[in-house]
Amino acid sequence: MSRLLSIVLALSFSSLLKAAPIAESLVRIEATSQEPDYKSPWSPGTVLSGVGAGFVIDGDRVMTNAHVVSNARFLTVSKEGDPKPYTARVLHIAHDCDLALLKVDKAEFFNGTTPLEFGGLPEIESVVSVYGYPIGGKRLSVTRGIVSRIDFQTYSHSAMDSHLTIQIDAAINPGNSGGPVMQDGKVVGVAFQGYSGDVAQNVGYMIPVPVVERFLKDVEDGKYDRYIDLAISYQNLFNPAARRALGLEDDDRGVMLGAVYGGGSSDGILKPGDVLLEIDGYPIASDGSIRFKNGVVPLTEVVERKFRGDKVHLVILRDRKKQTVAVPLDDPWPFTLQSNAYDEKPRFVIYGGLVFQPVDRNFLAEHDPSNQRLNYSYDFFVEDGIYRDRKELVVLSNILPDPVNAHTGDFRYSLINEINGRRIQTLQDVAQAFAKPEEYYVIKTADVGPPIVLERKAVLAATENILKRYGIASEQNLEK
Amino acid sequence: MNPLLPIVILLFFIQASVLGGTFQPRFKNQTTAPEVTSKSILRVNSTNQVYDLGSPWQKKPPTGRRGLGVLVGDGSILVTADLVANSNFIELELPANAKKSTATIQHIDYESNLALLRATDPEFLAGMIPLKLAEKISIGDSATVLQFEPNGEIARTTGRISSISIAPYPLENVGLLVFKISMPLQQRDGSFTLPAVHGGRLVGLLMRYDSRNQTADIIPMPIISRFLASTTQPDFKGFPRLGVSFAPLRDPQLRRFIGLTEPGGIYVTKVTPKSSAASAGLREGDVILAVNGLPLDQDGNYEDADYGRILFSHITGTLTPAGGKVVLKILRSGKIEEVPVAMKPLDRSSVVSPSFLSDAAPPYFILGGMVFVELSRPYLQEWGAEWTKNAPQRLVNYDAFQDELPADRGKIVVLAQILPTPDTIGYENIENVVIKELNGRPVKSIADLAEAAKHPVEGFQKIKLEEDPTWLFLDAASIEANRTQLMEHYELPATERLNPATSGQP
Repeated sequence: MSRLLSIVLALSFSSLLKAAPIAESLVRIEATSQEPDYKSPWSPGTVLSGVGAGFVIDGDRVMTNAHVVSNARFLTVSKEGDPKPYTARVLHIAHDCDLALLKVDKAEFFNGTTPLEFGGLPEIESVVSVYGYPIGGKRLSVTRGIVSRIDFQTYSHSAMDSHLTIQIDAAINPGNSGGPVMQDGKVVGVAFQGYSGDVAQNVGYMIPVPVVERFLKDVEDGKYDRYIDLAISYQNLFNPAARRALGLEDDDRGVMLGAVYGGGSSDGILKPGDVLLEIDGYPIASDGSIRFKNGVVPLTEVVERKFRGDKVHLVILRDRKKQTVAVPLDDPWPFTLQSNAYDEKPRFVIYGGLVFQPVDRNFLAEHDPSNQRLNYSYDFFVEDGIYRDRKELVVLSNILPDPVNAHTGDFRYSLINEINGRRIQTLQDVAQAFAKPEEYYVIKTADVGPPIVLERKAVLAATENILKRYGIASEQNLEK
Repeated sequence: MNPLLPIVILLFFIQASVLGGTFQPRFKNQTTAPEVTSKSILRVNSTNQVYDLGSPWQKKPPTGRRGLGVLVGDGSILVTADLVANSNFIELELPANAKKSTATIQHIDYESNLALLRATDPEFLAGMIPLKLAEKISIGDSATVLQFEPNGEIARTTGRISSISIAPYPLENVGLLVFKISMPLQQRDGSFTLPAVHGGRLVGLLMRYDSRNQTADIIPMPIISRFLASTTQPDFKGFPRLGVSFAPLRDPQLRRFIGLTEPGGIYVTKVTPKSSAASAGLREGDVILAVNGLPLDQDGNYEDADYGRILFSHITGTLTPAGGKVVLKILRSGKIEEVPVAMKPLDRSSVVSPSFLSDAAPPYFILGGMVFVELSRPYLQEWGAEWTKNAPQRLVNYDAFQDELPADRGKIVVLAQILPTPDTIGYENIENVVIKELNGRPVKSIADLAEAAKHPVEGFQKIKLEEDPTWLFLDAASIEANRTQLMEHYELPATERLNPATSGQP
């Protein structure tokens, strides 16, 4: 009995010794966050807490995942072997690539830590070790695996962005998030997401160094800008007839543009049917891949390394003629509506018990409305250029029952088109329309139905009661 | 003293209803009228097969439905359209002597959910007695639903008519008169197509039964007699429709805002293009106050002489024949006006995405393995009960807001799937996208597509889609050369069906 115990102890002791230099830089993060409630947007939200990992990098900073510290209200960090929790704050957060940098309030936290250095892209099949604080205990945990695949993946934190990702077969579990993945004493990735065991076995993902380095470079100016994008969709050119029709040789080069999204960088420069042959001098294969510094990657990897205002040079074939075009890169803002948003307060306007809210991914996740026009407008916001008519999708999201709004139930989740003749483009427009005194407020929705009519004097008489009854401190919040 | 009074009254009522239940022959005409016997009803077994709309050259596995038909005179057997829709084979059976005959559909109307059958054996109905329609039925009257026991005896279940209202029929957007009967009903046959009778006459055909609430929905005599009348009109195109959507005018704030001082009235929220209402100049925002001089309440009901408070669409859709006229009293911009409306059925030829396909074989066109179909609601319903969420949203949107499309939009032609061939390499994942042009020619129907396919451009079939990936190309000569192989490989009977043809039945 006692012998068995000593063997177990010895084993764990030896691995601790090995891990010691890394352990000195490993950080356990306890985060208390407050999740906004899009169903009662006036509420401060539910308080939750969780544990994640992080590691010390140069400049007395702690790197972790954005999702570990999103919506944080209170953060503490602690080091392996030092029980004391130190309070920390978010220095930079990038929701589109799930990375964040923390600053610790007391500089003495960094005494005895060694900033970890970054390596490059690891080879397929090479061995990596994952450090973190996953479920199953309180102390540092190390798992080991090999690099299984290097590819683009959707980052589920924002749900809309995909970047280069490395798949590893080491066990990654809740609590591993933000922890370093090491090879030869250097960080080759940040563990961030995986599949639960009932979907796929031994599939974990880490954010590779190129993505991390881009983030660190982006924040050098003191603030984080979003990733930029060509905002296009392309189609493989395997089909021999398509190749000949477009005037291409049988050389497995080029992809055809299927869609150029309005409001994006390429809008007005590229058009569907154009064939992309080269990007910044890299020849494009017929499946959209290029041979880049680190092997075969999708052509978008060239754009991934760039920043707002940079240009991408493309060789295209249009009407069978080769052309060179430069695309200045900018933020495709209409897409942000379809991403998960964090560290934002829900915006709303309440008038006569009618709650108006702008629709975004956060809103839909909680409301799940069945209004066909609303769902279409959201799904095709970019693709069909809905954003040109509506900068936001403002809906009547809820009705707080009161005699003044007794007949408005059928209008829930209708998009708001007009209030007293004023086009509703943003939530701000709703607030302004109600701020202007009128005898009647006539609200026209995008759905089939009569207008909603509210009498100002009836609303004024009812407002105080409504707010009191539903415990609402403020009739509106227009700031994120 | 006072608290006792309600109890006394209550007891009195219970007793009365117990008496009513015990002594059956209480209704005047029931003592004189003969009971409906098996000489007027017969079993109808239908084998139905619907097209697989994603692979429209084939049908789905056959399903059997059983119900009871009613002889309504001159060798005509009345059943619900539901029972025999998309039938391959219809069999009539007399349970008493197990005699059988095949049958054909004489008339079918999907809106009123009724059909007339005729036996192929002219002697089959010899000795049978046609059933007459009941004349007047009110709420509270009894009605008996007839079924056959396995031994051929008639099983009778009697209940009371608990409500008479305009209620949905199986086709979407169709509301017609419905009698609801409260009764516990045992399912003996494969469907609930069963006759309901009263005093030896036909009250209607049961079309659905809600077993949880134990209510039976009956297609009543007024609808049946309109259907029977229509069978003699060679140009019958359906029951007339006003073609408006409306909202109740219950909100006093809205009533004050539009200056409505009269009681009642409904708010017109949409006028269907090319409908009776559109031709009469009705507009969104009009308030309908009365129909043919009968005032409407704020929900759109009027006081019917026979059936009490029911929706005005009973006047416009059932009591008025196609070609007839109704007069609407409306409030428009603060002024009362009388608007005569010439009633006509819905013009289905102009519908972009039809809500039902009847028995017609759906048109399709296969171009080198690419399967093109026309959008319809039944196509979307292939995605199951949750089709509005699960079907491709762009297609759902076309269906939902088809009235807002330009008048010359035509049909929405969808690239439904691709049967992979060497000609379609690289295109395998494309499905359910809408085609805009083929070879530079706009595509507004499968027929357009077939015509455009005859004119390849520089040896290519140039397909322009409405969305990503926008362009697809096929080698015209190669797909023509590979056509036979494609048909053999995927066992396609034909690579096109251009015009909707009716299957089997006339």
